[in-house]
Amino acid sequence: MQPFTEKCVEKGLLLSTILSGSITLCILFFMVIFSLPLFEGGQIDQFIRLEWNPYEGDFGILPMMVGTGLIAFLALVIAVPFGLGCSALISVFAHGNFSSLLRKIVELMTGIPTVIYGFAALFLLVPMIREIFQRGTGMCILSASIMLAILILPTIILFMSDALNSVPKSYLDAADALGATSAQKLIYVMIPSAWSGMISGLILATGRVVGDTLIALMIAGNAIQVPKSLSDSGRTLTSHIALIIASDYESLEFKSIFLCGLILFIYTTLTVFGLRLFRYLKIIGDR
Amino acid sequence: MPVIHKKKYLYMQKIKIKIDGLTFYYNQKRILKDISVNIEESAITTIAGPSGVGKSTFLMVMNRLYESIPGCKVKGKVEIKCDGDYLDIRKLPLTTLRRKVGMVFQNPNPLPMSIFKNVAFPLKLSGIKNQKHIKESVEKGLRDVCLWDEVNNRLGDSAIKLSGGQQQRLCLARAIIMTPEVLMLDEPTASLDMEASAKIEELLKKLKDKGTTLIIVSHYADLTKRISDHVLTLRDGRF
Amino acid sequence: MNKTVEYGIIFFSWISGVILIGTIGGLLFFLLYKAVPSINIPLIFGKIRPIDALLLRKEVLDGLFPAISGTLLLVSASIIWAVPLGISAGVYMAEYSSPKQKICFNLLLDILAGIPSIVVGLFGFTLAIILHKYLSERICPSFLISSIALSALILPYIVRATEQSIESTPFSIKTTCILLGGSKLQNIIHVLIPYNISGIISGIILAAGRCAEDTAVIMLTGVVAMAGLPSSIFSGYEALPFYIFYISSNFSSQEELATGFGASIILLILCAFLFTIAFIIKQKVATRFAGHT
Repeated sequence: MQPFTEKCVEKGLLLSTILSGSITLCILFFMVIFSLPLFEGGQIDQFIRLEWNPYEGDFGILPMMVGTGLIAFLALVIAVPFGLGCSALISVFAHGNFSSLLRKIVELMTGIPTVIYGFAALFLLVPMIREIFQRGTGMCILSASIMLAILILPTIILFMSDALNSVPKSYLDAADALGATSAQKLIYVMIPSAWSGMISGLILATGRVVGDTLIALMIAGNAIQVPKSLSDSGRTLTSHIALIIASDYESLEFKSIFLCGLILFIYTTLTVFGLRLFRYLKIIGDR
Repeated sequence: MPVIHKKKYLYMQKIKIKIDGLTFYYNQKRILKDISVNIEESAITTIAGPSGVGKSTFLMVMNRLYESIPGCKVKGKVEIKCDGDYLDIRKLPLTTLRRKVGMVFQNPNPLPMSIFKNVAFPLKLSGIKNQKHIKESVEKGLRDVCLWDEVNNRLGDSAIKLSGGQQQRLCLARAIIMTPEVLMLDEPTASLDMEASAKIEELLKKLKDKGTTLIIVSHYADLTKRISDHVLTLRDGRF
Repeated sequence: MNKTVEYGIIFFSWISGVILIGTIGGLLFFLLYKAVPSINIPLIFGKIRPIDALLLRKEVLDGLFPAISGTLLLVSASIIWAVPLGISAGVYMAEYSSPKQKICFNLLLDILAGIPSIVVGLFGFTLAIILHKYLSERICPSFLISSIALSALILPYIVRATEQSIESTPFSIKTTCILLGGSKLQNIIHVLIPYNISGIISGIILAAGRCAEDTAVIMLTGVVAMAGLPSSIFSGYEALPFYIFYISSNFSSQEELATGFGASIILLILCAFLFTIAFIIKQKVATRFAGHT
């Protein structure tokens, strides 16, 4: 093929890559541009506030930030221990075909759409929570956290299982030959060797939990308040965007969702940088 | 290299391991064919033979390490002497068997821990908590393998940073710290220089004198000639 | 570690497994149980005969047919936007990029992959506003905008799948064409892409699954509850995930709610189907690699 055609094709591919990368920058650009009015008017502090009263000009999104943080934290607290247990089951305690069957089931679970979790939770979990607490509608941060934990569990299990499986075989042989039991092997050899992979997976899972919209939207209650107990209703940054989008778009209220978008974008960027830094430090530490 | 057949059809004082009709299959392929031998107690038995013939496989059968590899099947009987009685190794709990029958691999496999923790690991597995006892045992083990002088000032360093020969001696120290009744070594001096090899040979002879049964896989004719009591040559899956 | 702690650990692991399977099993069983009363032809086609609906002779007003078609059309459109762009970018990253470029683009794509879908939806929405203002009054949140936004969502998956398959091609195969005198481009066209086609396709199918199940993006970019089949790319449309969401808070009778469960089952079957195909293709890739050591 002629060198000229080659050059053209290469430039064309470069263009595609630049276009793909620029989408990210576009998103950042749009978020900044559309929330600029808030910064310019010196109104930014107005937004990092607790009160939300559109009719009185209060647009504090702090309750939503707290909502996101709280729900994400609770979901992880529930999911991580069970995720660890299941991944230990798949990678260490169960054997052969049963172990691969379990893993296939978990892989299939990652494909279940979020909206279906939310839908099922609405008619299964929410009434249960309502019964247990005997007050409220059952749509609270606890329900949302439980459902999010179930949503994120397969992802956590797969990450941890992969980390455990990538422990070098020589370590496993050494432990086996010394007469270590499976549990001893897991605790003394595999987890210490695999913990960095597990932490990376956890960071990615946290990103997914923070970014989820549907579950919070459908079952967290959507009240704009800082939840004070597990059975309180709450709202996340993501569900806030979904709820406000339907209102008048010239209003200041509307512009607050771009600030939410910006915050979420910054969070994602920090996560990606943080992960890279973590991996880089680990490599340096190993040397 | 000429193969040395030092088959003393022997008069074995005592037998530590009785092997009867052992056949080993890997993915339907027969690696070891109908092996029936006895391993003498407190003696050094060397397994010799061409590469890839199944010498390491033979060792793996003795401590049932093959069970963690899919596709392996074993037929026949292997019995080990425990307190005077011969017990089928498949009936013993795995952890008990592996503490009786220690193994040093061909490629050193230190665990990702400090030198001290590596050697102390078997003690930890057995639940021994007395710190003084642990320290003394570790020092003794490292001295026995002639590693103490080289590492006593950096016991907290990662074991992975040691040289190949040092790692091999570390794994040896780790394997003997619980004084196993049987010790199996796969090419113990392959990655060692002349001086270290000589030291290891001394150690093996010392262990034999203390009563350990030793099974060694080795290509090196000199080593075999110098220290073995028995030589079993594996050819085409049979002795 | 004493025996009780050890047994505790093993017990906890097994209990975790049981809880996991039990929860998911219970969820699915519940959905199926509730959906059973509504699984029949009218669920999809309403009062119209299937033939008429499929041939577009008559409009289906009270069945899931518009939603199902909406989802399928949307997935196809997003794939059409994303695949050429994604594969080109993936090829460039694997074969032509310099280390600096690689770091830069990988960073941007990783961020894109991690952005919450609602933010991508917001991006689509703002895109619509901007195009509406500066390009044409006709453009507003619609099928077109949704498909573009969705393609932005799935782009990282396709780029990664392409890049990783090409990079993991065995060295001997990667260099064969070059060593025979071929050019880099010929290598890519005649060797690398055909060899890795399964990996790339499986990545595309997974991306399609992601499109089919997404709700947040489409909610912000033009999906509506009642629109029939999209009459043009500038019109509104329906989609299965949104129907499920909408029904959950807007049902007026148990029968209507049951259609929500029915829609859930259909969506599950669709996603399971796509997932299984991607899985089978991946298996084929794995066995092929097993032969080439």
